[in-house]
Amino acid sequence: MNLNPFIKPKNNTVRAVMLDVIIALLPLAVVACIAYGVIALWLILTAIASCVVTDFLFNAVYAKNYTSFLDGSAIITALLLCFTLSPLTPWYVVAFGSFSAILFGKFLWGGLGKNKFNPALVGREFMVAFFTVMSSATVWVTNSMVNTKQSDLLSTGSLLANYGNNLLYKTGGALGEYSVALIFSGGLYLLIRRRISWHIPFALLTTFLFCTWLAYFYGVDFKYSSAGLLLGGLFMATDMPSSPNASQGRLYYGCIIGLVAAMFILSGIRFEYLSYSILLLNGFTPFINQIFMPRAWGKKPDYTVKAERIFFLTTAIFAMAFAVISLHYYGLIKYVVYVYIVYIILKFNFSFLKNIHNPI
Amino acid sequence: MMHIPSLKHITKHYPIENLPDSTEFFIGYKSMLKPVVEPGQYVKKYELLAETEGVFATKLHAPVSGTIAGFQDIDGKPHIKLVNDFKEDALVFPHINPEHTEPAEILEIIKHYGIEGSGGARFPAHTKYAVNDNKVDVFIINGAECEPYLTADYVLMQNKPEALFKAIVCIQKVIRAKKVVFGIEKQHKELAPLLKKHVGLGNFPLEVKILPNTYPQGGELQLIKSVTGKELPKGIVPAQHGIVVSNVGTLWAIYNALYQNKPYIERVIALSGTLAAKKGNYNVKIGTPISFLANFSGIVDSHTKHQVIVGGPMMGRQAKHPNTPVTKGTGGILIMPEEKKNQYNCIECGYCSDACPQRLMPMEFARFAQKNDKDKLITYHLSDCIECGACAYICPSDVPLMRSIFYGKELIKGTIVI
Repeated sequence: MNLNPFIKPKNNTVRAVMLDVIIALLPLAVVACIAYGVIALWLILTAIASCVVTDFLFNAVYAKNYTSFLDGSAIITALLLCFTLSPLTPWYVVAFGSFSAILFGKFLWGGLGKNKFNPALVGREFMVAFFTVMSSATVWVTNSMVNTKQSDLLSTGSLLANYGNNLLYKTGGALGEYSVALIFSGGLYLLIRRRISWHIPFALLTTFLFCTWLAYFYGVDFKYSSAGLLLGGLFMATDMPSSPNASQGRLYYGCIIGLVAAMFILSGIRFEYLSYSILLLNGFTPFINQIFMPRAWGKKPDYTVKAERIFFLTTAIFAMAFAVISLHYYGLIKYVVYVYIVYIILKFNFSFLKNIHNPI
Repeated sequence: MMHIPSLKHITKHYPIENLPDSTEFFIGYKSMLKPVVEPGQYVKKYELLAETEGVFATKLHAPVSGTIAGFQDIDGKPHIKLVNDFKEDALVFPHINPEHTEPAEILEIIKHYGIEGSGGARFPAHTKYAVNDNKVDVFIINGAECEPYLTADYVLMQNKPEALFKAIVCIQKVIRAKKVVFGIEKQHKELAPLLKKHVGLGNFPLEVKILPNTYPQGGELQLIKSVTGKELPKGIVPAQHGIVVSNVGTLWAIYNALYQNKPYIERVIALSGTLAAKKGNYNVKIGTPISFLANFSGIVDSHTKHQVIVGGPMMGRQAKHPNTPVTKGTGGILIMPEEKKNQYNCIECGYCSDACPQRLMPMEFARFAQKNDKDKLITYHLSDCIECGACAYICPSDVPLMRSIFYGKELIKGTIVI
């Protein structure tokens, strides 16, 4: 029997959602190609191919689903992964990272939508754990390879125009970070299309900026990439499956990511501060969803209980953050990745595989 | 809450026409009702068919004269089958002079003429108006027909405003609300001047209030919030908070009872849908089977697999049996193509939660209904769901949310035991 409703909005399928994200990300890929030419294009294509093929193969073998790879989510994972990498990353490392992102970041959780962590960031951590080249400083020495040094779109030479030019186009950092203006407009597009909500980026950016202001105020050395932060805040932290789905929870989640990222920077985590903090909070998303459940119509929630639960949750998150700092300090993060591999494979075999055909 | 295309332009300018009578009628009676007729018995038009007493007292009357052909189960619910003899041999009720009727008498008439809420819940109207000594602060007329396609209430407000206001005056004699608010949606604001013309009929303050176009504005709790600012939890009786809500269709039925001396045997419904050939607003007798309506309308493209929907496209039900009848709560009959839903995994977008007027998390219902986890369903307030369909409408993955909700509610009620 068919159930209500018997009408549906036009163009609101999962594919449309994914297409919108791709539309928002594509200009960044183009800018990356302008900056690094064929090198960037090659890396992006390698990542996309690796992601899509992995997605297809595993879905075909385990779920007998031969079309699900067409939903576009694999392309997003590939693009986001590339955007966090240096253009000097070897192509086989990128291919490995893309493969891990889809397999360990998404498929083993049960496929589309069931992943607890952002697949692109999982892929990135796998690359760091298995290839030392990822954490070497030389991989970021890329100035000599830049095709297009700077944009002269606003060429009056004034301070303001220089500033504007830098916002539009400035090479340095990872592949997706060359145009703050385009990152911002991509995020704006997603906001207008209601593919992301303003809560997470807003909370994340304001808390983080507040921390930078505090650091500046106390004269602490505080290095971060503003383009990277924007990219993470708008596209990574807002990944639908791994982020909370109610507004209060989203605000809390964004806030804590900002705080934890600032903490990580202060503890000397150079490159991975944002991906660690997002992944850490991804792990707490189910709890955040539970605690920040919207107040049902006409109901009066028990605010003392809620406050208590928020307190314990926050304590747990910060305890985990300190654990991450220590692990990073002693170079043990890769063992976390190994444990994760064992965990997710066991979990897949004994639990997630059984639910692979369930939509939720 | 969200906006959905109203699709009312299709039928909203059609006049109210009379639907020809069907040869067979199927009058459904709820389990509480006792039929007072026997198979083979001849009944006159307006004759009593079934009734129940008590707080939820209600009555069913014969829509036409003819013979009772027996009882039939349609989708598991008992129905009286009445065969029309087309003689229109009607029972004559004692004359009523509504202007000079006492409040208690009005209540009695509303009860005896089988008036039920016409918005879908079918709550007996006399029970709602029997406020006794409770003070009623506001009497809200629900003119927010928020379901797309449906225009039954719209055409009543457009064509019969005087009748509606006469009914309001009569109900006011009983409930004596301090203020009456006629709520209509912003998309129908052209009705406001039409309605305001008749405001002077009563000697009580009456306001025509323009409500936002969000779905489901016509939901009782959402309407009460829009009008009074009070957020009442589901399951509460609004009268306890000094609020009485009535649907436009109910007013029309009350007008017909008091001024036309007709029991509730017909109502206005919209006949529409993408596959309906003949569309419009019709006076349809209660008990008319949907197959009759579908034949009357005709189907535009007979190659497309079609389905008949009883009610609106958001909350209506697919009619499985061709004899499924129009009831006192049916606002429309839609002929729609049967579309295959393209199911993906839930991507946790949270659209359902954003769209939910009750601020629930429908994706959790899908998750826990699948696991048969009754306790979790209760924790996530499944019982507060008003089944408006907004979540399933907006879901980009077509997760079976409504199925989970109906199933989960049965789990909580204990009608399904694992």
